[in-house]
Amino acid sequence: MSEWMRKVLESKRATRQRLRELSFSEKVKLLEKLRDRTLGIAQSPLRKDRRIKV
Amino acid sequence: MKATLEVINRMQADGVIGKYAIGGAVGATFYLDPLATLDIDIFVSLKDRQGSPLATLTPIYDYLTSRGYKSEKEYLVIAGWLVQFLPPSDALDEEALQQAVETEVEGAHTRVFTAEHLVAIALRTARAKDFARILQFVEAGVLDSSKLDPILKRHGLLEKWEQFGVKFLRGPDPWGRDNL
Repeated sequence: MSEWMRKVLESKRATRQRLRELSFSEKVKLLEKLRDRTLGIAQSPLRKDRRIKV
Repeated sequence: MKATLEVINRMQADGVIGKYAIGGAVGATFYLDPLATLDIDIFVSLKDRQGSPLATLTPIYDYLTSRGYKSEKEYLVIAGWLVQFLPPSDALDEEALQQAVETEVEGAHTRVFTAEHLVAIALRTARAKDFARILQFVEAGVLDSSKLDPILKRHGLLEKWEQFGVKFLRGPDPWGRDNL
């Protein structure tokens, strides 16, 4: 594994650890943002256009 | 989600449901980094209405729809969240419900399955996303083997756990003890 890739993975691990340590209330706020973003992407007309073309 | 839980707590106070606990991805988020999900799984103990052995969700639907909440397929929409109410399907769910941990979301009291019960239920359910979630639990180091092993044994899941270890980790023991 390259040094660059090792640093990327280490950074991801650190971010996940930081998120894990948030309170449940803070995590729930993030969940709500993730949910809204997922719904926004699903409803995007660009996504529908692309699906028709494929 | 605070508003969602307050509605469920009110329903509990009104005697429509008994104990409840959050499972699924939202439950897992209590222990892990947040997992994207569109719904909340609420495992719920239903009050025995007429001595029937069959649990029915009708009282929950009646209570909520009479207060203006809409149903959408298998969900009820409460304060913007799709909520699925699930009566315990077996002894594992019952145990998870009894042993859930107390917590709160922005001041709203609630209960969440233990990490070990979430893993046991994921192992029983055995979809690809369940295995991915178990791996997250293992990698996060939040499982207590002295709690998980007896749960797996009690509910006949030890063989599945060994198979999981062989397939996704280092050997038949997912804790890696056989490789020490």
